Amino acid sequence: QKTGIDSNEVLMQVTVILRKNEYNKEFSSGSVKSYDSNQLASNDPIEDTRSEALCKLTPGILMGVFDGHGGPACAQVISKRLLKYIAAALLPMDSLNKFIKEPEESLVEIINDRVELIEDLKTIYDNSFKQYLLDLAKTPRKESDVNASLEKGILQLDNDLSREVVEPFKNNGVINPKTLSVALSGAVVCVTYIDGPHLYVANVGDCNAVLGTKTEENEWVAKKITKEHNSENYDELKRIWNEHPDSERKTVIRRDRLLGELAPLRSMGDYRYKWSTDVLTKVAVPLIGEKAIPANYHTPPYLTAKPDIYYHRLTPKDKFLIIASDGIWDMLTPLQAVKLVGEHMKGKVFFNPLKLPKKNIQLSDINELLLHRKESLKSKPKDRNAATHLIRNAIGGTEYGVDHSRLAHLLSLSPDVSRMFRDDMTVTIVYFDSEFLRQCPT
Amino acid sequence: MGAAVAYHLTRRGWGDKTLLIEKEKIGAGSRWHASGLVGAFKPSLAQVKLAQSSIRLLQELEARGRSTGWKQCGSLLLARTRDRMTVYRRMKSQSVSWGIPCELVTPKRCQELWPLLNVDDILGGLWIPGDGVGDPHLFCMALMREAVDNGVGVMEDCAVTSVLSKDGRVCGVETSHGAIECEYFVNCAGFWARQVGQLAKPQVKVPLLPCEHYYLHTKRIDNLDPMTPVVRDPDGYIYLRERDGCLIAGGFEPVAKPVYEEEIKNAAQRCVPEDWDHFHVLLQEFLKRVPSLGQAVLHKLCNGLEAFSPDCKWIVGEAPEMFNYHVAAGMKTVGISAAGGVAEATVDEIVDGYTKYDMYELDINRFLGLHNNKRFLRDRMKEVPGVHYGLPYPFYEFETGRNLRLSPIYPTLRDNGAVFGQVMGYERPTWFEIVDKDKENPQKPRPFKIAHTKTFGKPHWFETVQREYWACRESVGLADYSSFTKIDLQSQGREVVDFLQYLCSNNVDVPVGSIIHTGMQNERGGYENDCSLARISENHYMMIAPTIQQTRCKVWLKRHLPHNGSVTLSDVTSMYTAICVMGPFTRNLLSELTDTDLSPSNFPFFTFKELDVGLANGIRAMNLTHTGELGYVLYIPNEFALHVYNRLMTVGEKYGISHVGYYASRSLRVEKFFAFWGQDLDTMTTPLECGRTWRVKFDKDIPFIGRDALLRQRKEGIRRQYVQLLLTDHDHELDLWSWGGEPIYRDGNYCGQTTTTSYGYTFKKQVCLGFVQNLDKNGDPQPVTHDYVLSGHYEIDIAGIRYDAKVNLHSPNLPTKYPDKERDVYQATRRLHEPQQFLGRVHRYVVGTQEVEGTGKKDIPFIGRDALLRQRKEGIRRQYVQLLLTDHDHELDLWSWGGEPIYRDGNYCGQTTTTSYGYTFKKQVCLGFVQNLDKNGDPQPVTHDYVLSGHYEIDIAGIRYAAKVNLHSPNLPTKYPDKERDVYQATRRLHEPQQFLGRHYQP
Repeated sequence: QKTGIDSNEVLMQVTVILRKNEYNKEFSSGSVKSYDSNQLASNDPIEDTRSEALCKLTPGILMGVFDGHGGPACAQVISKRLLKYIAAALLPMDSLNKFIKEPEESLVEIINDRVELIEDLKTIYDNSFKQYLLDLAKTPRKESDVNASLEKGILQLDNDLSREVVEPFKNNGVINPKTLSVALSGAVVCVTYIDGPHLYVANVGDCNAVLGTKTEENEWVAKKITKEHNSENYDELKRIWNEHPDSERKTVIRRDRLLGELAPLRSMGDYRYKWSTDVLTKVAVPLIGEKAIPANYHTPPYLTAKPDIYYHRLTPKDKFLIIASDGIWDMLTPLQAVKLVGEHMKGKVFFNPLKLPKKNIQLSDINELLLHRKESLKSKPKDRNAATHLIRNAIGGTEYGVDHSRLAHLLSLSPDVSRMFRDDMTVTIVYFDSEFLRQCPT
Repeated sequence: MGAAVAYHLTRRGWGDKTLLIEKEKIGAGSRWHASGLVGAFKPSLAQVKLAQSSIRLLQELEARGRSTGWKQCGSLLLARTRDRMTVYRRMKSQSVSWGIPCELVTPKRCQELWPLLNVDDILGGLWIPGDGVGDPHLFCMALMREAVDNGVGVMEDCAVTSVLSKDGRVCGVETSHGAIECEYFVNCAGFWARQVGQLAKPQVKVPLLPCEHYYLHTKRIDNLDPMTPVVRDPDGYIYLRERDGCLIAGGFEPVAKPVYEEEIKNAAQRCVPEDWDHFHVLLQEFLKRVPSLGQAVLHKLCNGLEAFSPDCKWIVGEAPEMFNYHVAAGMKTVGISAAGGVAEATVDEIVDGYTKYDMYELDINRFLGLHNNKRFLRDRMKEVPGVHYGLPYPFYEFETGRNLRLSPIYPTLRDNGAVFGQVMGYERPTWFEIVDKDKENPQKPRPFKIAHTKTFGKPHWFETVQREYWACRESVGLADYSSFTKIDLQSQGREVVDFLQYLCSNNVDVPVGSIIHTGMQNERGGYENDCSLARISENHYMMIAPTIQQTRCKVWLKRHLPHNGSVTLSDVTSMYTAICVMGPFTRNLLSELTDTDLSPSNFPFFTFKELDVGLANGIRAMNLTHTGELGYVLYIPNEFALHVYNRLMTVGEKYGISHVGYYASRSLRVEKFFAFWGQDLDTMTTPLECGRTWRVKFDKDIPFIGRDALLRQRKEGIRRQYVQLLLTDHDHELDLWSWGGEPIYRDGNYCGQTTTTSYGYTFKKQVCLGFVQNLDKNGDPQPVTHDYVLSGHYEIDIAGIRYDAKVNLHSPNLPTKYPDKERDVYQATRRLHEPQQFLGRVHRYVVGTQEVEGTGKKDIPFIGRDALLRQRKEGIRRQYVQLLLTDHDHELDLWSWGGEPIYRDGNYCGQTTTTSYGYTFKKQVCLGFVQNLDKNGDPQPVTHDYVLSGHYEIDIAGIRYAAKVNLHSPNLPTKYPDKERDVYQATRRLHEPQQFLGRHYQP
């Protein structure tokens, strides 16, 4: 009768590990009803980051998933800075000027911020940001061009990552190892900007955003919004081959990787593939040695942070958007993920107690209602947070449901072994308010 | 509850001395979460008496024109299963003894009584016309008015903030409105009783935890008779009643929802949002039982939290932590049927010192500290409310809150097939399943199994227990008695002997090494405790008492302990593992394991010896078994328990030793007519009534408590007699068994009821123990003589069928293959007043009573103070240091292991004491003493400067390694810094007092 104590305990431990980084938030207005987010580390420390923020001086909400590589530094810094850069680019000129004069109110309200940058970096970054605001104010641009704003924010920040290393070196020969480590590590980026029915996704690298849509026949359809920048993307390969002389055709992409090293074909940071040989020799080689310069490094830059920007106008059928790092997409297809989240949505309502709909209800009607609920309660998911639900299924999923012993086993691996079985996983699921979208003027 | 206690105090003339303190407003509890059911039938006599007292009170108040909502509409109990029907038949047969008129009814009759009922799946019912309903609010206000009219003071909106004690006795309360001196305090805080208990200093443990509890209220239903009876359908966990033309429906779901995190501060917070999904279980049953309820319109579903105790029984009585602190709480949801009776009993206890009926099963002393652990309560609470309507099978076991108190041999017993029952949190084997030893890989550890009986007839464990029974009677049985309460009592002089002479009715002044079985009587001669006392040395006794007495007997002892502290009492229950070996070959078995001569001349029956067993020593062996078999109970210091057990099992193999559980020993003792406290004996039973007069020594120098009452009873004659009844025409295979509480008939007239019962494997008959009375026409008990008892023809009514019974007044001699004269002459229950015979003379001790004087202030110079003062003045000549070897390679070099010489600047200066590799320092670490030796080798004063200024080396097997010296405990680097701990240095220089509580030590 009471034999299951041990396995129960394991189950609880598994759940504790899975839920460690859980976060969810509900919103009272706008097209975004709520979002669920979670991360599961495989690397130690985790190289994925994420951040979400409400724009304060413009409408809209920004959410990003950042998958770092070559160390966590770049992804960490981006998660702290990028949404502010984009929010600034989104400001109409008059608000921008006003903000530069009176920067008392913050540009964005960061949600669920868990990291604090060290003091000296903060100063450097504040200065860069001020400079960026002034530049923005000088450059005339088309109002309300969201695409341009997203691109501007990303490229400007990528540019600043380099400048923060190179400028002090040029001016007084100093290399700050902290900013250097940020510039040498890299991160792929997937950021969404949602303003009412307007959904924008900016993508750099191999994260993906997938839209979950429910058809009239109550079936789930997955719409993959982004196209990852890796060697499976033929357009990307063509782009890169075209940007470099034919002589490099064999070396620029080797073993499905940029210069035989980097899997994503676009990313932020990664200045080992962007700086000139000269800069690399002066700045990077002293710190990390000759290997700083990749083999066959003839015509830099090889890498760009230029995002692909996608737009989608949300309809009441669009229920949610999943943004996740490739750790998830290695394990789940977009349709699998959408179905999992869809089922979860159905079961999720049962986390809330039943509220009786009307006055003067008969007991038999209540019974009917409860019988229905009971049936549906069977599909009540284990995790309230859909991101956790996805991660649990991504790791432990089998044809017959979640295999908890497999899950427990995979979670108990040490970081060096674990990296072979799974990558860091980061998932953010944004739920849309169908009622709001229904009432949006087309 | 508070109102009822106040009311009953006024009835005893204490009204003007009583103050009722209410945190909010009296009677402010919501009308939505009370059912107001008043039922007389409860699972035990005490509860029935209390409920009957409550009903009387309701009727009296109504008669006096006080409105209480009392309505005698009767109640109808429905059965869906045969076992439930058996329960009703047993209740019907018991109703004779309890005086509750009731009637078994057919499904058709059920429907006549309650026309809306669906009786398709009903097998029958029990109709109790005397039951009814009341209105808790009106009842409370009626009691309050009576109480206030009789002088009770009331403070509303006044919170108790602490209950104070002086000399272990209540002396006052502090409230939000100021302090009040008082002599008695009654915690009637009901739902909040646990929290109020925590306000006491010392804390009073009232183990209660809230659960969600539902009341469904419909809107008006047409043509509903106001006298519609209450319907209880326990198989569907539900009840229904009419109120003001509407129905109130509630129940006790099998899996409850405890409330753990939330803190409920006031009455308003007790109504929490309803969880319809949780309530659905009950709703479905309502609709099934009363289909037309489907058309009824919901008025309100109230989820009112209700507090339950861990065994689903009320909590009444004086708290063990503080004299004069009474508790009357945990009335579950049936406060209105409990309040009147419980309050009356509480007031009786306060005014008279005792209650009218034995209340052990409700007494707060039935708990230990563990029962008040909130996590335990949360675990247990899931199944507690369900018990209320569950089937009351014999030997009920909870499935939660288990594996709490375990003896050291528990894992071994479990792997040997033990199936456990829980008593006072202790896991006690009830029987042992056969473990297939031939199997290649026996499953180890075996899963924990909980005993269950789940029948009123022949139980499934019958054959298993039979096998164990015969092991005890014909070979060797080994039982775990570890749960028994064990108390050491001792004193410097004779005080403990005098103390026990005063408490015990038997003579305890026996030779050292004897064991006395004795009762501890109250003023009325009843048993407060029934125990064995082993005289370990002249002024040291070990007391063995029933498991359930662990809290209770200590309170009784403490109540009478000499105030000067001359007698010390220590509870050693948890220090000893008790293993009982019983059976004809136990002496041979034990002889193989010890050099002590175990022959009757050296180690007679009913004596004690401290033995070496196996390779262990200090085992307190008692030559008795509590079941009447030859054998020994070994009280083994815990660390030796497994060793002794293993030896016993190994050597015992050739004697056919087998494990036996509690059920087998219970069967042995019932057949042998041994009475047990809590089952047969209680605070209302005297030794004279149960054949134990021979254990009462009226002529002791020190008159014991209860002596006068017993003398009076001896003169006037007893009015009930403890007997053993053997059922002669009962078929144990087919007939329902007796499980205790069955009425006994003498010549066709009701004359008493059974207490404990068992199947007697030697007699091959059901054996019932119980009390027989001689009731006159009015039902009043008359004196009972032996002739009266022996001249009757007896029958026992089991669930409506009467079985013939043969009566015994004395312990029978069971036929045995292995007769043992010494043991056979021992009868636990006997008539003759023969003095117990001891070997050797009774010593008379002449020891003057010694008063220990108060020691006064604690300015006592400790031993060695003068020497240390001198040394402080003159300076030390050696210094304890820590040395870290700096050039030692722990992989290749020989290690320091202690005793290595220490060199200072090349000169020998001392040696190391203990050494170790320091895994943080990654160096060899040596502790040792450094001296300052002059040219003659004489030690000179050592200063810190001297120590710190030298260069040290340690010589390990001829090689000197350089060492760095430390005078104080180092702070080791850590990933998990903890400021509070880091400032603590075991070895330090400064003479500053250590600082606690958050302030940090500044070096």
